[in-house]
This record gives sequence, C-alpha cells and structure tokens, in this order.
Amino acid sequence: MGMIGQHLLNGLMQGTIYGLVAMGFTIFFGVMNVIKFSHGDVLTLGAFGGLVAVWAANALGLSVPLQFIVALCVAMALTAVVGAGISHFLIMPLRNAPPLNMLLMTMMVGTAIREAIRLFFPNGTNPQRFPELLPAGGFNIGPSFFRTDAIILIIAGAASIGAVYWIINHSKFGLAMRAVAEDTETARVMGINFGRIIPLTFALGSITAGFAGMIYALYYSEINYSMGLLLAVIGFTAAIVGGLGNIWGAIIGGYLFAGLQTFVVAAMPSMSDYKNVFAFVLIIVLITWRPTGLLAERGSERV
Amino acid sequence: MTPTSRTLVRVPVWPLFVAVAFAAVALTALVLIENQKLLGAALAITAAVCFCAARFGGVAATEVAASENPWLLRGLITVASLAVIFVLRDDNFGLLMLATVLIYATICLGLTVQMGYAGLTNFAAAAFAGTGGYTAAMLGQQGGLPDALVLVCGGLVAVFIGSLLILPVLRTRGHYGALTTMAFGVMFNVFLDANDFFGGPQGLKLPGINLFGWDFTNDIHIFGLVLSSYVNYVILTGILTALAMIFVGLLDRSWVGVWFDVVRLDETAASVFGLKIAYWKVLAFTIGNFLAGLMGAVYAKMTGFIAPANFTFGDSLVMVSIVILGGIGNRWGVLPAALIVVLLPEKLQFIQEYRLIFYAVLVIAILTMRPDGLVARRVRKLHTEASA
Amino acid sequence: MGTISKRGLAALAVASVLPLAFGSFSAAFAKDKVKIAFVGPLTGAISPHGIGGRNSAELAVKLMNAEPSTKYEYELVVLDDECKPNVGVQVVTKIASDRSIIAAIPHYCSATAIATVDIFNRFKMPMVVWAAVLPEITYAKKYPEVHRVSGILIGQNRIGAQFMKARGYKKFVSFADSTDYGKSMNKYFTQFTLENGNEILGSFSVPPDQQDLSAELTKIKELNPEVIYFGGLTPLGARLRTQMAKFGINAQLEGNSGIMGDAFVNAAGPELAEGTLTFFDSPPLSKMPGGKMFSDAYKAAGYSEPPEAYGPFAYVATRLVMETIEKVGPDRAKVTTDLGDVKDRPSIVGPVTFDDHGQNITPLTTSYVVQDGKWVVWEESEYVSGKRKLKNLP
Repeated sequence: MGMIGQHLLNGLMQGTIYGLVAMGFTIFFGVMNVIKFSHGDVLTLGAFGGLVAVWAANALGLSVPLQFIVALCVAMALTAVVGAGISHFLIMPLRNAPPLNMLLMTMMVGTAIREAIRLFFPNGTNPQRFPELLPAGGFNIGPSFFRTDAIILIIAGAASIGAVYWIINHSKFGLAMRAVAEDTETARVMGINFGRIIPLTFALGSITAGFAGMIYALYYSEINYSMGLLLAVIGFTAAIVGGLGNIWGAIIGGYLFAGLQTFVVAAMPSMSDYKNVFAFVLIIVLITWRPTGLLAERGSERV
Repeated sequence: MTPTSRTLVRVPVWPLFVAVAFAAVALTALVLIENQKLLGAALAITAAVCFCAARFGGVAATEVAASENPWLLRGLITVASLAVIFVLRDDNFGLLMLATVLIYATICLGLTVQMGYAGLTNFAAAAFAGTGGYTAAMLGQQGGLPDALVLVCGGLVAVFIGSLLILPVLRTRGHYGALTTMAFGVMFNVFLDANDFFGGPQGLKLPGINLFGWDFTNDIHIFGLVLSSYVNYVILTGILTALAMIFVGLLDRSWVGVWFDVVRLDETAASVFGLKIAYWKVLAFTIGNFLAGLMGAVYAKMTGFIAPANFTFGDSLVMVSIVILGGIGNRWGVLPAALIVVLLPEKLQFIQEYRLIFYAVLVIAILTMRPDGLVARRVRKLHTEASA
Repeated sequence: MGTISKRGLAALAVASVLPLAFGSFSAAFAKDKVKIAFVGPLTGAISPHGIGGRNSAELAVKLMNAEPSTKYEYELVVLDDECKPNVGVQVVTKIASDRSIIAAIPHYCSATAIATVDIFNRFKMPMVVWAAVLPEITYAKKYPEVHRVSGILIGQNRIGAQFMKARGYKKFVSFADSTDYGKSMNKYFTQFTLENGNEILGSFSVPPDQQDLSAELTKIKELNPEVIYFGGLTPLGARLRTQMAKFGINAQLEGNSGIMGDAFVNAAGPELAEGTLTFFDSPPLSKMPGGKMFSDAYKAAGYSEPPEAYGPFAYVATRLVMETIEKVGPDRAKVTTDLGDVKDRPSIVGPVTFDDHGQNITPLTTSYVVQDGKWVVWEESEYVSGKRKLKNLP
C-alpha cells in the first residue's frame, strides 16, 4: 500500500502522454470532422526526428540541456510540418468523402509512415536507444522512488497541455479555430482566412504529437517504429470518451484511461498484463452508457 | 401491355464463358508462375484485359448474362474450379494460398453484409475470425466433437461474443461505433496475449480437419492421379465460399436486403416507416460474425496453428480495405480484392520487405482516385412486372 | 536411291557420338543444384542474431561451393521468421511443402521453433536447429527429422545456479517472458536455485514486447532482491536493464544465453551492461577448434554485421547438412536417416554427436560477464581477481 505514490506517479506520466495525443485527435475532429488516425505514427516520426537531432547535436558537441532543447524543437517542427502536409494534400481534398473512407485513408497514411520508418531508418526494425538527456536518479519518499526525470516530464507535459488549452481558448488564433470548427461558412464570411487557419490548426494538433513523442522517448529511453499504434488507439479512445471536439474531454479522457490502467495494476498486481483489457472493457461500457462521450459532443444531426 | 424482358431480348451468353475462362486461366497463371519477370508480364496483361473489358462494355455484358442465367454461371464456375484444381494439384503452397484467399474473401463477404448492406462499422473482423479459430483450438484439445460441428461452433461462438457487443454497437453511430469494435479488437488481442489458458503469445496447435471420416491430411488418389492434401481444403473453402455467396446474394435480392439498405441510408426515415432498426442491425451483425467465426475456424485448422498475432487490428484493417477496394456493398468485388491483397504480396518477391507500405500506398491511391472500388455496387433495380 | 558408303556411315557414326561425348564432358563441369533453406529472425528486434546466423550459413555455402571436389552446387534459400510463431509456421509450411528444398537450418527463437517442429515432421523434411535452446524442441516428441547443434537451456541454468551460490547470493527474483522459452527458463532456474538452497522472492512473466515495465519493477523494488534473473531475449533484457536503473533498483542481473552477444550490450549501453552475468553453452570463438578459421573467413567475406553468439553454430549446422547431402544425395529420407548417425563429427565448434533425439550432447557451459562493453569469460575477467565487483555482493 505504500507504493501508492509510485503508482500515482506512473499513472500521471501515462495520463499526460495519452492526454496530449487525445488533444490532437479532438482538435482535428473539432475543426475538420476528421479522425486523423495517422496521429500516432506522426508521434513516432517526431520521436525519431528528435533522436536524429540528438545525435547531430551530440556530434556537434553541444551541451546536454542544449541537446534537449534542440531535440524538442526538431520533433515539434517535424510533426507540425508533416501533420499540416498530410492535412493539406490528403485530407482537405477528400473532405466530402464518406467518413469511413477518410478514416481508412488516415489509417493507411499512418501505416505508410510506420513502414517508412521501419524500412528506411538505419536498423529501423530494432528498438532504438534514446540517450539520457534529463538528470538521472531521484529521491525516496517512503517506499516510493520518485524519478527526477518523471517529475520534470509530468510538469512539462501538463504545462504544454495548459499552453495548448490557452491557445485554443484565449488567443485570437484559437478564436478563429473555434469559429471554423463551429461553422465553416459563417467563419469565412466573417473574414477568417480558411486556407491559413486549417493548416495551422493541423500543425498545432500535430505539435502535441511531437511533444508526446519526446516525453515517451525520454521516459523509456527507447523508441521503436510501432510505438505510435497503441498510443493512437488509446488516444482516440480517450478523446471519444471525453467527447469528440471537447478539449477538456480529451484531457480528462487521457488521465481517465491511465487511471484505469493504474488501478488495475495497483489493485491486482498479478493481473497487470490485463490492464489494457480492463481499461478497454470499461471504455466500451462507458460508451454504451453515454454514446456521445462523457462531456457530450455539441452537435446536431440533420434529419 | 408491357412485354417482359425475358421474352423479347436474347442476351448473348458467350461473354459469360469468356469471362469465366479468362478468370480461371489468369488465376492459375498467377499462382503457378515463380519467375518474377514472367509474373510481372502476366499481371500487366491481366490488368490490361480487365481494363479493356470494363471500357468496352465487356463487364456490363457479363453481368447481364450472369443475372439472366444464374445456373449456367454456377455450372461454369464449378467446371472452371475443377480445372484449376487439377492444374494446381501438385503445388502445395499454391493451393494453401488459394484456400487462404477464399477464406479471406468469405470473411469479407460477412463484413460486406455488416458494412456494405447494413451500414455498421466493424473494425474487429479479424478478432471475430480469431474467436472461431480459438474455439476450434479449444474444442480440438478436448476432443470428441466431430469436425463439422467444431467449425459450426466456431461460427456460433463468434456470434455469441458479438452479441456482447450488440448494445454498444446499436447505441453508437459513426466514429463512436468504429471505436467500439476497434477497442474490442485490440482488447481481444491483448487478452489472448496475456492469458495462459489460451496459449498466450506462444499460441496453440490444432489437428487438421477430419470431416465425416475423411482425414484432410491425406492426399487424394483419384483416376490414377495424386492430388495434394491441400486440395481437400481448397474444395472445402470453395464450397463454403460458394454457399456464402449464394446466401448473401439471396439476402441482397430479397426484401431483407431492401430493408438493410433503408437502415443504412437513412435511419430516421426507416424508423419513421416502422422498421425495427435494432432488429435488422443485429441480424446483419450476426450473419457477418458467423461467417467470420466459421472461416476463422477453418483457417486455424488448415494451418494447424493459432496465435494472437494472427488476428491483430492490422488484419482487421486489411479486411476492411478488401471490402472497400472491391467496391463496398458489391459481393463479387471481394474476390478479386482478396486475391490482390492476399496473393500478390506472397508472389511478388521483390516487394516482400515493402509489401505493407506498398499496400498502404495502394489503398490511399484507390481511396483518393477511385473511391467506389474496383467493382462498384450497382444501383438496385426493382423489377416491376406489370400484369397483362 | 543411292547407298551410303562406308565412309559416310563412319562419318555419320562419329557425328552422332560426338555430341554425346561433348554433352557428358560439359555435364562433368555442371554440378546439380541443391536447395537448402535457412530460417531466422531477419527483421524485428532480434534481427542482429538472425542476420549473424544468416551470414554464417551463407559463408558455409560459399566455402562449400568453392571446393571443386563436391558433387553438388548448393543454393541457400533464406527466410525470415520475425521471431514470431505464426510467421514461422507460415514460412516453414512454405519450404516444407516445396519438395525441391531438401533440408532446413531453422530458428533462433525457441517460441518459433516449438511451433514449427510438427510441420517438419509432417512433410518429412530433415532439419538441424542452429540456436533455439528450448529442450522440448528435440525432447517433447521423437521426430527423426529434428536435430540440433546448439545446447539446451537446462545445462546453463544448472551451472548458473551453482555459480551464483558460489558467489554467496541468496535472494533472487525471476523475470521471464511469457513464451514457452521464458517459461522453460524460469522452470529450470527455479528448480536449480532452490536445489542450491537459495530463496526466490517472486516470479514475473511478461509478454516479450511489453513496453512499460513500471508495474513489475515497482513490485520488485518492494521485494528488494539481491539478484534479478532474466529469462528471455535481448530486446526485453535490454529494456529491463534500462528501466531497472531508472527505478534505482541496484540488483545484480543474471542472464541467459538469450542475451549473449553484442546486441545486448549495444541496446543497453556499455555502462548499464557492465557487470551483467550470463551462461552460454559454448566457449568464446577464440577458443573454439575452428574459431580462427571461421572469424578469418567471415571477415574476408566482407560481412558488416558480426556473427553474434550463435553464428558459428549456424555455420556448423549448414556444413553438416551439406556434408550429409554430399554423402547420400539430395533425398530427404536418406538425409534424415544419415543425420541420425552423427557421432563425433568434427566441426569448428568441436565434435558433434547427436543422441537418439537428435540433440548434440557435447556443448559445455561457460560463464561470461560484461566487461568494458564486451562479453569476457568469467575466469579471465577482472571480476574473478577482485579488481571489479559484482553488484550487491553479500
């Protein structure tokens, strides 16, 4: 029972990652009514980009904190560009296609990214070791060991979630974004530059993936080409549970899923491999009870 | 007085003969050829012929001839299939691939009923197939049950598991519905991986099929020829696929099919007209899951092995794309689509490494350029025969 | 109508015989082609081992084909089993049902091998396993087609348990993967450790590709063992070592033959890998009878990847198969029979003798420790002299 602190920390860490991914999903859905399933693989791309940046920075002899900053910037820039590119070239032209086609296509885009990493990154099929950029070690509170890097990452993750939330709800760009999400036609009539807002929105959503990818890489010190797939499914789940299109819902959904996993692990340690099973079962139950998510999606259907 | 079409216009049947013969020859060639260059040439020729046929009305003529002479079509297909089996009688692996294609096609037929007819999104087709496979494995370990029953049980267990998902599937729509089946599929995989009772990641071994006393691991000795034991499986899957096609076709042409369409196209209007939406959706879901479970059991027994890694979310995705590639809602489309998706990667050695990325790019291309699929679904024609 | 003169007849006779003579002349130069298959994990996290094995097998074929006195020309068909049982079943079905492939040299991963043994027997294809160490592969059933040149994991666990007792360790935790391989490792580890009078505080079993080990490591931290025994393959082992350090768990890591090789040291990093112990059924390459010849030939062939721990065994298995085919011809049944009679066959790893289950009974277990990023024989390391210390020594 004294390990509660440990479990809490693990759960918060996972929840932050899931929350970031879920936020991306919800942003894409809110604005373009599209589930961009390649989100998870864009995350992987960001992590690998960060890895290459660290190698380069290391070769140039930069100090460790500087390497960290460079890696983070590269990851976020890469994911922003790729995310915006996918939206511009593949999603926008097809925005009137049946939603199933769109979903399938984004899944395939994700597969293509994943396979490209696997095939073209040197030794892509093997897990890659991510260098330690954060201070190692930690401190003990009771029987629980609090890793310093975990604390830093949780704080950074929460800060980024807060930043994105602030951008969406309190900045002019965010206002434009929400206007387009609410009613595209009226927004354009009101003078919002549709052609600029959309790519920027997708870029913002994808940046969360870049950040989440870096957090993952730094926490586990290991990345591999398929790490994005399960994260995408969980992130999507979290976004849905919270209610698609609702930022708070996505964040809550992410921490909720992590909480479910942690609960299973803490209460029944011998059944820890089942943590995902329980979590998904509970999600299915939740969805049955509230088919449009916990924080209901604001929307109506034309009959 | 309006004359019926049957008496006045004589529909030429030779397109039917040509089409079936061409399909049989192309299939045999693609399975047999090992030489990569020759294979590439054969593929190009096949594609060119298909394209020309579509352009110059050959496909339309074949369809008309087929719909007017269903029994002739069935007879031709049977003869052609026997010919193909005869030519391939020694090629163990080729026969195995053929049987796999048929299994995938039938599972996707079930998926067509769910997605193409009733409009349900199912991202867990592979998981339902896996349910059937694991049922066969567990029953095989217990022993005692005749194999025909084992296969049917595979289908029934899949239906049962599907019934657990009925409530979420009914209450959710669109993306939320996709989530339900997706979550189930992932959960199924994780559960089997973690669980030792079902073999865990190591998987389980299964005995081959022994149907009504005939052991499928025996080679067939007939008329002095020796046919590889895999011919047994090809014949079984062929018969099952044919039955499934006939059944689904009947479904489509009947009033059940019309009501499926209404439910899919406009739920609100359907309920306004008094249709019990839930009932029809459950029926479609059940039919699809039964087919998936049945064929999953056949697949498991044929390969003699089952593991969670055979039925991942990725495999479900492949099945959904077969349905879309073939033209969603067109049951004939799943056959060439399954052939392309299952057979080609095995044969084209040079893309072995790259087959997934090649496949992903192909699907993206089809979705952007030809979203109706290879063989688009024809608009329903309701025959109204005026009484004289 | 004229008659053919005697001269004409003679000329005709010579003319008809000449092509035959030429034909047999050239036939003496063209050797018949024989196909054999190599199966290993060429993609995925275990690929360093699979690629090392493949290179070694290719080397064996190349050297054999270069010998002019051989009757046949060998072609190596290479297949990737991705270290997954279901993929293994697929590729083995493919080669076993292809009658033009005479024999196979399969599998690094035990989980894959145990799934495919029945297929080899069903299609009567002789095979010689080059790395998988699970005992059940050769001992669960008595299949005449199944042979193995590498050792089985019972020996390494017995030696390992004695070794740890000799160092004075008492409290252990076992961490294994949930495949048959990990389960078997855990079984024998438990058996021998308890026999030696030591205590096992807990056992953990995880699927081999599980990413997050926090739950298990949290529990292990609570148990506070002196040694963590690892029964699994390199990727999970490296992950365990990395995450162990993050949780501040300072236990000694006792490994198995699955983490032997450069791949583990590269994946975990030399600092973290330092001091890890393992037990492997073979002396190092430099001490093998044919070790120098092998490493020279390997280097000369220009392979960029190292042969890894089991490369020499892949070489031996391939060479054995080819020698047998030379002796009895490309016939599956004859090869199977002849492989059953292998006794004291010389090879680069020493004499090979198959027992009645096809298992090579000669390998000896050696203890290794990681020192400065390389696996070093224990007795020659600085640990035995006391210059460096293992962790948590009581």
